[in-house]
Amino acid sequence: MFQNRAEALALALPAAIFAAAVFLVPVVILLSDGFRNPTGGWSVSAYIEFFSNPLNQAVFLRTLKLGALVTVTAAVIGYAAAFAIVNLEPGMKGKVTGLVVLPLMISPVARTYAWIVILGRTGIVNEAFQALGLTQAPLRILFSETAIFIGLLQLFLPLMIISLISALENMPKDAVPAARVLGANWLQVFWKVILPLTKEGLVIGGTLVFTGCLTAYITPAILGGSKVLMLETLLYQQVSVSNNFVAASVIAFILIAMSFAANILLKRVATARNKQRRAAA
Amino acid sequence: MTAQRLFIPFILFLVIAFLIGPFLIIVAASFSAGETLAFPPQGFSLRWIAKVFTVESFRASFGMSMFLAIGGTAAALILGIPASYALSRYKLPGAEIVRTVVSAPIIVPGIIVGLALLRYIVVPFQVGITLALFLAHTALVLPYAVRVVSASLENLRSDIEEAAVLLGSSRLGAFFRVVMPNIRGGILSAFILGFVTSFNQVPVSLFLSGPGVRTMPIDMIAYMEIVFDPSVAALSSLLAFMSIGIVFAAERFLGFSRYV
Repeated sequence: MFQNRAEALALALPAAIFAAAVFLVPVVILLSDGFRNPTGGWSVSAYIEFFSNPLNQAVFLRTLKLGALVTVTAAVIGYAAAFAIVNLEPGMKGKVTGLVVLPLMISPVARTYAWIVILGRTGIVNEAFQALGLTQAPLRILFSETAIFIGLLQLFLPLMIISLISALENMPKDAVPAARVLGANWLQVFWKVILPLTKEGLVIGGTLVFTGCLTAYITPAILGGSKVLMLETLLYQQVSVSNNFVAASVIAFILIAMSFAANILLKRVATARNKQRRAAA
Repeated sequence: MTAQRLFIPFILFLVIAFLIGPFLIIVAASFSAGETLAFPPQGFSLRWIAKVFTVESFRASFGMSMFLAIGGTAAALILGIPASYALSRYKLPGAEIVRTVVSAPIIVPGIIVGLALLRYIVVPFQVGITLALFLAHTALVLPYAVRVVSASLENLRSDIEEAAVLLGSSRLGAFFRVVMPNIRGGILSAFILGFVTSFNQVPVSLFLSGPGVRTMPIDMIAYMEIVFDPSVAALSSLLAFMSIGIVFAAERFLGFSRYV
């Protein structure tokens, strides 16, 4: 540990000043806009106005609903996939994990674009449904909540699987066989053994997926279109179409508050786990 | 037991198909000979791959994204390496505040960063769009740079540079001759992570686009709203192979995943 304070500040301040000037100050001013009333005082009238609009309510609830649905679905699929991957032989495990991580390196634009080919009017799903005689006319899957749900799930499922893989790998090896030998069925093994032992991984994965859904822009923009909005796309519309910067500030505050809350939760869980580890060691 | 043994690989197969399938479809569609984006592709040709290189706006926006990804990441490292060093080796007053401020851009959605920058930096100070994009991308990559470099500094014992200083080396000399060679892998990994993050980033650039100044992903979105031919698929495939290639090489030669 070096003690020279002036040197330390000289090293650290350029980065801190840069981040404060380019990012922190502008964002704080932007957020404070939403708490101003026209006469210059402080008020929450912009928030009351925002939430009294039924369209905004619908967008807010849709964002929460899709975030929750994607997170829960990712958790269910994630457990099955992570459990399968952990039980693969070592060589296969690395390869399959690589395949799970691969989509994270591909641009979200490309990943979302693919769903147009799959879900569009003349897309694979519609062609298949019509060929099988399930539907007469093409279904309208694009520009719906379903399309956004599928797109978001595909975008963020890898994060959940990776979190659960590391949680499952840290679980004592003999916990599951022990429970099985003692007569627990698979459902009991999951609820009573796997879930409590991998809770942290689930919370970390869940937070990543949920905040990812809140702050995703491309997926709702491309797969939801201009009618099925989420908070991010509503923010964009408020600025570029309605020039309503106050509403944009309100949405920004809601988004930041929700991701902040999720991150604090994440930090709590992480420190609790570190303490546990230290106690164990 | 047999049912179970088949069930688990089956689930795994479905999950991988769901995750990778769409990308494979895009790759297949980019070799189509047809006029519109479709799967299965109509015939086989390289015309759309060739077309990507002839679209003027693609070339301009690719250059812009490359500049932002390389320049922004380099700037973030120039700011981030000294900051990480101060955070891990010095008794820094207000260390927690510095750490929070520097890593905050990761928590705030990009669209908000872009909007705040537009309204309170670009407009009042008459900053050009290119410079604004550069600042935004630097701020965006800074948290990753600090995190990855800090992690590799934490893994390096600090007594070797203290020994170098005691033996008469200057602090700066000790840093460049003792510390830098030891954290080179971490710095390169931070660079690659920053590059890929910056290149693929969309929301921060949404409001920071002007006539002729666009990042690659924004330009792709704009193009596909007008023309529905397979050229965006071809471009997506090329870019994806570029990212995958970079990360794969980094993993091969640096052990990238150790650092990130």
